[in-house]
Amino acid sequence: MADKDILKDLKQSILDFDEDAALELARESLAAGIDPVEAVGVLADGLNELGVKFERMEVFLPEIMLASDAFKNALSVLEPEIKKKNTEGKKAIPIVIGTVQGDIHQVGKDMVATFLATAGFEVYDLGVDVAPSRFLEEAKRLGAKVIAAASLMSTTRPVQKDLIDFLEAKGVRDQFIVLVGGGVVTQEWADQIAADGYGQDAIATVNLAKRLLHVA
Amino acid sequence: MGMTGRERLLACLEGRKADRLPVLSVCQYVTYGLMEKTGSYWPEAHYDGAQMANLSAGGAEVLHLDAVRVPYCQTVEAEIYGSAIKDGGRTHLPSIEKPAFVLGEEPAIPDNFTGRGRIPAVLEAIRRLKERVGKDTLVMGSLVGPFSVAANILGVSALLKASLRKPGALIPYFEAAEKTAEEYAQAIIEAGAEAIVIEDMMASLDMISPKTYREMAAPYEKKLIESIGGQVPMIIHICGKLDQVMEDVAATGASAISVESAVDVAAVKEKFRQQGISTPIFGAVHPINALLEGTREDVAKAVQASAEAGVDGISPDCAVAPDTPVENLLEMTEAALRLQPVN
Repeated sequence: MADKDILKDLKQSILDFDEDAALELARESLAAGIDPVEAVGVLADGLNELGVKFERMEVFLPEIMLASDAFKNALSVLEPEIKKKNTEGKKAIPIVIGTVQGDIHQVGKDMVATFLATAGFEVYDLGVDVAPSRFLEEAKRLGAKVIAAASLMSTTRPVQKDLIDFLEAKGVRDQFIVLVGGGVVTQEWADQIAADGYGQDAIATVNLAKRLLHVA
Repeated sequence: MGMTGRERLLACLEGRKADRLPVLSVCQYVTYGLMEKTGSYWPEAHYDGAQMANLSAGGAEVLHLDAVRVPYCQTVEAEIYGSAIKDGGRTHLPSIEKPAFVLGEEPAIPDNFTGRGRIPAVLEAIRRLKERVGKDTLVMGSLVGPFSVAANILGVSALLKASLRKPGALIPYFEAAEKTAEEYAQAIIEAGAEAIVIEDMMASLDMISPKTYREMAAPYEKKLIESIGGQVPMIIHICGKLDQVMEDVAATGASAISVESAVDVAAVKEKFRQQGISTPIFGAVHPINALLEGTREDVAKAVQASAEAGVDGISPDCAVAPDTPVENLLEMTEAALRLQPVN
């Protein structure tokens, strides 16, 4: 298969949320000598396309979740190759991300984590129901300067403030960039709790992280 | 002489004329302020019927709503099925820590379902609320819709993925959840509740497609409503932008539909009129923009906008955030009172 066709099929595997095809085509792309960065690019294009359809309520969350699984499958093959190439380059910036305590919503947070990883950050996903103390512990342990906290419920949004208050109380607030996001979060809320930034969606969060960390 | 809140809401639910738009919170309305005013707090109020009743009575005695309701969280049924629950302490609601089942396992129904877990406390709270505020205020028992119980016992991700990949494998979970919902609903009625809220938050189009709603959520909502056979009104609440399935929700036989402000209520009402659907719609005061973060003026505007869009009852979009100021909830009630009488 020509490189062009492999890339086209790779993107299509995301649009079809076909995990097996995504993995297979990712391997093929490497075998054909395609730049893995370019391969990840078309995967991200596929996810973005689905994202637009999702906004228009033409596809729904289960499709996005399966597409995201397909993406991760392909990434598991491509990412190590990208890292190999980058070893001589500068070190990736670590970010810890999680959904706040009391909230078990996973999907949106996963999307943001995936996009941050694709953009070259070293992402540590703490999962869901993450206590403020755990955000801090893990960020310290991993040397992360950025903490990204998601909340998807009106009842758990106050925990984003708890996190910031906790960092304040521990006297370490100024050592971290705290990003907040999630369906119930607004710029106004981010301002009110003095978060460093509000990521409206996965792409916005990547841009925000890049801007705040002064990386191109 | 005006109607009592109970009379007003029942009139609305039964398709009779009310003196004005009812005002209620279809979903949970407890806030830290309400805890202070009533002297009953989470987490105790999740487990103790007397505390639960005392806290919920604040909906009538402090907030002057036309209805009170219990419980607060959406984990009661899932806990009985064996999902591990994480307590939320004073400030948060209990949540699911680990779902009871892995897809493929048989969802065994625990015997004496309504005698287990926190259901006895919920039923006691209903009896106490009926006694304490039930003369003038509608006492509602709330349960979780079958689709959402399935999500809580299988895990949301597993359920959503299976809804596309292995839909047939989900049927036993929906069937079990519907069956236990029937038992629970009957117990709620026997305890004295005069209306039931079915919260089917996972059946939202934020989560699933209209096709999945029609095939996997609506049939079980309908079966549950039919099993009650009109003994009490059944109000269904589903989050998100539901426009595409509003007729399907109405076709479940629900006595009213509670929606978020994401729904174009005016357009849906028009569609309902054309099709001869008379199901009342409740909503749609935004719990964050208006109630939590807004001024009293913002709340009043949201109430006015909901009424102009044509809602049949004023209610927050969904669960009230616990850090919502009590004054804003009071403003919702007062703004509803200032609305012009219903024609």
